[in-house]
Amino acid sequence: MGALGHFLERQGIPTAGISLVREHTETVRPPRALWVTFELGRPLGIPDDPDFQRRVLRATAELLERTDGPLIADYPEEVAGEADFTGWACPINLAPTSVDSLLAEIDRLATWHDRAIAATGRTTVGVSGLDMPAAGRLLTQALEGELPPAQALKEAVDDLRAYYLEAASAFPDAGTPAMRKAWLWDETLFGKALLTVQPKLAASGDPQHRILGNLTLIPATERHRLAKG
Amino acid sequence: MVKRLSDMPEVEANHLRRIECPTYDDTPALAGKPLKERRVALISTAGLHKRGDRPFQPGDGSYRVIPAETPARDLVMSHISVNFDRTGFQQDHNVVFPIDRLRELAAEGVVGSMASVHYSFMGAFPPAAAEPHARHLAGLLKQDGADAALLVPV
Repeated sequence: MGALGHFLERQGIPTAGISLVREHTETVRPPRALWVTFELGRPLGIPDDPDFQRRVLRATAELLERTDGPLIADYPEEVAGEADFTGWACPINLAPTSVDSLLAEIDRLATWHDRAIAATGRTTVGVSGLDMPAAGRLLTQALEGELPPAQALKEAVDDLRAYYLEAASAFPDAGTPAMRKAWLWDETLFGKALLTVQPKLAASGDPQHRILGNLTLIPATERHRLAKG
Repeated sequence: MVKRLSDMPEVEANHLRRIECPTYDDTPALAGKPLKERRVALISTAGLHKRGDRPFQPGDGSYRVIPAETPARDLVMSHISVNFDRTGFQQDHNVVFPIDRLRELAAEGVVGSMASVHYSFMGAFPPAAAEPHARHLAGLLKQDGADAALLVPV
């Protein structure tokens, strides 16, 4: 991100950016940065809080009038951490059974995904161009047969991940985003499928498969699950 | 709440420490018009694009075009990284791409106006791959009359 500040400012466009990782910004030294303490993925702080978001964006924009860069300003507001969710269990029984399949699980979530779309008016599913059963079939193929091209598999997996998490947000007792992400990894066949396909990708002769398997499939915070096998 | 890397969970902090950051000679911060007279563009590095546009790929330093009037329901994210939260974006695109907030700041007169077109890169780019695209982009911003860019990471 900070590199773009250098590139654009050198071409005559004044820039001001948000910084999520202060150590990175201190190294890159872009012309103007506002350091925030928010979670990665949430640079404006809080979803559905326009006033909060507007204050952050305004503070960023106001840095444009300063010419004493490279500068890092500290944003004063913080976002409270999530409450402890020990003991939360997904209220919808999606636990895998011995006769269940990934495709059945995907199908079972469809009604909840519909509810999520009704609530927000949108979905972020739609990178791969596949419908969810087709995305599930592609992942099943990767598990059971030949690996599909890495980019196609990555896009299908990203769509499925968004589909699962959006669907879970419409459960009657939806819990917090952290709970729903834990649910995805702890309780779904989809999470299990990702952990199962990872070694196959990592061992592939195709370097794109290896990038996917080693870097862009399993979040760093979930990789401990791989060791458990 | 996240403070310094030393305050983060070890796994996440180690992942961030491994990311190699480029270094540059300092770039002078340009003077410009008062904020209330500036035309402002948003530039995200969240790997956002309109549904149907080319998804981002590893090593991709190019950008995608997001016209100001793009409906939220048309926005998707194909960032290659899985190491940041996406549920915020799923709930409210403005927490990543604050286009409605910029529109409000323009309506309130805090900024002069908003650009007609905004952009997204995919932040895991190698800087050398993005630089030629950024140079080209600077020309497009000037054509749009933009004289400021707000850079929003993910």
